[in-house]
Amino acid sequence: MPGFIAKRKKVLIILSLFLLLFWLVTLQVKNGRFAFLEKPVLAVSGFFERIIIWPFNTVASVGNRYVFLVRTERANERLLEENERLRLENGVMNEILLENERLRDALNFKRLHPPSSVMVQVIGKESSPSSSTITINRGSDDGVEKGMALITSAGVVGRVQATLPGTAKVILLTDPASTLAVRVMRNREEGLLEGKLESCALKYVSYYADIQEGDLLVTSGLDGIYPKGLAVARVVKVTRHEASAFQAVVAEPAVRLSRLEEALVLLK
Amino acid sequence: MRPRVYLMVVLLLIPLQASFLNPLSLGGVKPDIALALLYIIGLLTGPIEASLAGMGIGLLQDIGSAGLIGSTGITRGLIGLFAGLLGRGAIDINSPSNSIFLAACSLLEGICSALFMQVVYGSVPFGSLLIGRILPQAIYTGLLGAVLLHFLSNKDVISGLVRHAVQKEL
Repeated sequence: MPGFIAKRKKVLIILSLFLLLFWLVTLQVKNGRFAFLEKPVLAVSGFFERIIIWPFNTVASVGNRYVFLVRTERANERLLEENERLRLENGVMNEILLENERLRDALNFKRLHPPSSVMVQVIGKESSPSSSTITINRGSDDGVEKGMALITSAGVVGRVQATLPGTAKVILLTDPASTLAVRVMRNREEGLLEGKLESCALKYVSYYADIQEGDLLVTSGLDGIYPKGLAVARVVKVTRHEASAFQAVVAEPAVRLSRLEEALVLLK
Repeated sequence: MRPRVYLMVVLLLIPLQASFLNPLSLGGVKPDIALALLYIIGLLTGPIEASLAGMGIGLLQDIGSAGLIGSTGITRGLIGLFAGLLGRGAIDINSPSNSIFLAACSLLEGICSALFMQVVYGSVPFGSLLIGRILPQAIYTGLLGAVLLHFLSNKDVISGLVRHAVQKEL
């Protein structure tokens, strides 16, 4: 027996490592994802990502500033940022209008306020086989904290998962670990939107609920992360099975996540 | 390979995959450079070392992403093992069929991950995932692997590494 073990030492080590990883995974399925080593890995990858993206940004920046007019470029940047903010405010205002129409007689109704935000640039897009995350160029130095929402004028992008000074990791809407409380804008039906990598699935929608293809899903504000009324996704497929109490609803994110370059982090 | 080389490769892989390959993205699909590199490591070093490298790379990718820690470690470890066995007795490193095997590895890993997600999170849209993400990435990764191997063989890097590996074995 000892001879057999000595002969197959390397194979046994590999086998035990596989078993160890399998045990780690099963533990997380039961208790939730471990966060150990997350920050050191983000620190190293964020550092290298900034170094890698720096030459691209520098070349682009030099081209923009000297090939085109300096003032025009700056004004454009400012206007773009302002436009993002105004579109966000407009989205929230529309939601307030809808609420007011339904509840115009109600007094002391809590009003929505667009929260303060910080503009961020995407410096890394990670696409592991089982998750969807991005790295942004702002972190705890700029007031970005874990759990904050990341949005664009088109809608919700995701939420901050980990932060460091100068960088943060964001879990996208399509990540399987992402869940978001949403509401159908047309008829206020509620549900939970889960990431499915390429798309999202609206869960726990009753078999009898009126959900149609093309319906816009907006944040309900019930999860305490996203403000109420932000566009999240659009329903692309609805399937009803008589054996199930719920409908199977597939939705595409409102934001083109594959083309994301800039976004806003909503500061609490 | 030396542990220092491994450490450097592994530390650079995550930011390389996340930032440097963005310009190569087609419709949101990027080639998997970590997998291509792991396959080459497997062909050059053998099943044990490649399996360990795969577990290390996968584990770091898991920590750097939002997935369950260990899931990619397992799949990448198995791919390293497979590539190592392939390199030991079945396939020549300069063979053009390497890109097909690499694409097959990527495809298998994608399918395994989707099945794993089905078990953990439930109701995964398998068809759209396969057509929209897994299959294009597998083809893209296979092509990247072919380019990498062609580049390495032209620069006589492979023969040097193989010589080093053989010397180590002796």
